[in-house]
Amino acid sequence: MLRRFLALILIACAGFSSAIADTLRLGNPGEPETLDPHRYNLRLEETILTDLFLGLTTFDAAGQTVPGAAERWETSADGLRWTFHLRPGLKWSDGTPLTAEDFVYAFRRLLDPRTAASLAYFMYPLANAEAVNAGRLPATALGAVARDAQTLVLTLEKPYPYLPERLLYPTAFPVPSHVIEKVGDDWVKPEHWVSNGAFTLVDWQPQAAVRLKINPHFAATGLEPASVSGVDYLPIASEQNAWNRYRAGEVDAISAFPSSELDAARKEFTRDLRLSPLLSSMYLVFNTRRPPFNDVRVREAVALAIDQKVLVGPVQRAENRASTSFVPALVSEYEPQSMPGAELARDARLERARALLAAAGHDAAQPLTLTLRGFSGSETKRTLLAIAGFLDSIGVEARLQQSELKVHFADLRRGDFDVALAGWFGENNPEHYLSLWASTTGDVNYGAFADPEFDARMSAAAEEADLQRRNALLADAEAVGIANFPVVPLYSVTVRRLVNPRLDGWIDNARDVHPTRFLRLR
Amino acid sequence: MSAALTRVLLTVIAFLAIITLVFLLLRLAPGGPFDGERRLPPDIEANLRAAYHLNEPLPQQYLRYLSALARGDLGPSFRQKDFTVNELVARGLPVSLALGSGALVVALLLGLPLGLVAGMQPGTRLDRGLMGVAGLGIALPAIILGPVAVLVFAVKLDWLPAAGSDSAAHFVLPIVTLALPWVTAIARVLRTSTAETLSLPHIRTAYGKGLPTRRIVLSHVLPLALVPVIAFLGPATAGLLTGSVVVEQVFELPGIGRYFVQAALNRDYTLVMGVTIVYASLLLICNLLADLIVLWLDPRARARVKTRVTTPT
Repeated sequence: MLRRFLALILIACAGFSSAIADTLRLGNPGEPETLDPHRYNLRLEETILTDLFLGLTTFDAAGQTVPGAAERWETSADGLRWTFHLRPGLKWSDGTPLTAEDFVYAFRRLLDPRTAASLAYFMYPLANAEAVNAGRLPATALGAVARDAQTLVLTLEKPYPYLPERLLYPTAFPVPSHVIEKVGDDWVKPEHWVSNGAFTLVDWQPQAAVRLKINPHFAATGLEPASVSGVDYLPIASEQNAWNRYRAGEVDAISAFPSSELDAARKEFTRDLRLSPLLSSMYLVFNTRRPPFNDVRVREAVALAIDQKVLVGPVQRAENRASTSFVPALVSEYEPQSMPGAELARDARLERARALLAAAGHDAAQPLTLTLRGFSGSETKRTLLAIAGFLDSIGVEARLQQSELKVHFADLRRGDFDVALAGWFGENNPEHYLSLWASTTGDVNYGAFADPEFDARMSAAAEEADLQRRNALLADAEAVGIANFPVVPLYSVTVRRLVNPRLDGWIDNARDVHPTRFLRLR
Repeated sequence: MSAALTRVLLTVIAFLAIITLVFLLLRLAPGGPFDGERRLPPDIEANLRAAYHLNEPLPQQYLRYLSALARGDLGPSFRQKDFTVNELVARGLPVSLALGSGALVVALLLGLPLGLVAGMQPGTRLDRGLMGVAGLGIALPAIILGPVAVLVFAVKLDWLPAAGSDSAAHFVLPIVTLALPWVTAIARVLRTSTAETLSLPHIRTAYGKGLPTRRIVLSHVLPLALVPVIAFLGPATAGLLTGSVVVEQVFELPGIGRYFVQAALNRDYTLVMGVTIVYASLLLICNLLADLIVLWLDPRARARVKTRVTTPT
């Protein structure tokens, strides 16, 4: 009996191979749900997919957008037609040539309703994309055509100067049609895997590791190939576990650790600690469907009561950056617009807030009471408690309600809240953030904010093909929007990482992307 | 034999009830499988719901699930899109089994000697001392013991890995953490039954005849005293195999317990159902086997086990 138990243990252990010396071990904040670039949904999947595939554009070591599979491109004067010229000699990891047709196939697959791609809308800027995705038009109607093997022409619905950035995402990655047509959905299994990035997939043990090794055909692109021979991505969902495993020397880099350990990390890991501000916007949103939050005076009063600097400073102590604009300050070539009153001193803000509340009919006899919602976690709890404290100073009573992340956002989308904590991450593009306030946006405009003048300015910006002019129009729109206080901007997040000092080529950046091909082990 | 048949029938009914209950509870829980960190336009959500048959009425979904289950097909995972639930269970179950059976061995190796030694001298200082130490095993739940063990043995002493599953060494801390409460439980069962057996007339006679203690223990005490331990091994095995949920989280072992927690958080309906079915089957089968063995051994033994044994949870 004992022998059988031991045999079982040995069998279980035999499945896991030991790590190779120059294979990196990187902590990823969770288990990928898929490695199909068209079905992906999570940032932690983006990290792996960016190593596995090469899109038309790609990241450099500092997270900037640079040419990828396309070596150059031209845009027509009206901004509607983009012609991409592929690099010569592109190959899949099995040696099959990669052509413009592969990209056409990929875009059609992404937008095919049967693919059920949750991020298909990332490519809605393509002509007819939305109609194809809804099944109203055939895939062939899509604005993606291969003029020849080396030339891809993308036609857009409306001008979209942010297209090169949009093409960075896995939704725009090519997929190997020659494999998919042979083995179907099983193409994502390691034994069938073919991709065109710096790495290919070797093994995927769910909840244990995703293992990649170098793709020998990548060097033919002329782009810098990887210098390590492989990388293992370990799913480490808990920040505490990430901290423990890094301290035990089991991983070369982790994506986060508990903010309560920040002081310890400063002492113990001076050379490993990486604090880098992330393109992100954390904010409080008002449900404008519910009185009294349909009253702009009430919204402004709440906004003025909150002290963003105190929140990120003594309360959170996590190096987050206070923000009084909705679009993060890190967005390039854009002038973020602060909420009115942000420039006032604390006392003047509170005084104005009390006056606004009184005008809206709330005083000591009839105090405003509200439920303040947030997702679970002790860091969130501290944030909510601080906000309740700020509101208390203008006589507003806030009850706190924390729910699990999924429940929280599902309720927000259903409009079941008074005032709630929310966040928006990702793109280096003001439209990505501001579109949340458009009345046509749907359920992620959680508070159902609607302002005709703001909508009009957003529509005007959407017709502009020039990036600088478009961003200027968007800044106007932000100023108009924030004057109505659909939200209270709070802060942008700072990523806390620990990175092995022996790892060269790691450059902190606002997107927090670090393609493995730029990393070297000393 | 009819008592045995009743047990089998009850087990089948319990199994069906569990499936139905979990199916309904999951769909009552707020938040759906496709609520994520990014937005989903209505067209896209419709595509997704159709792909997973979530657009069908509930009874139809239920029947679809049952008929697939009858063919041994647990369906696709809603969130782990590249794997079927069968594939995930096939990868996770060996890890959980290795962890659970390793812990069972450790629990027996430590619990049996402890219980026997304490039970030979009931009421003495040695007995109280041993049982007091063993009591710590129940007092320290895995959620506390696990992180402390990691801090001491992985971070400070650097003897063992903190988490993961790359080698056999990765299983040492989880196995010990999982085993400790069961060491106590097994020791207690054996201590009680040993003490009881010692007071039986034929054992006292054996002592009176001057047989050596070693021989009395091995050929007269242990065979009797072990009967309740064997009966206890049914629930204990099931408890060890399923009790790994917490331990797998703490030590990031890729067993089905870890899938279970992640799947519940993600509203991965099919994966939660699949793991629940595996757990329920293990629990029910282990308990059924224990019941049947005890019935076969001695009907009176069963009553004794039921009243005396306390299991850690």
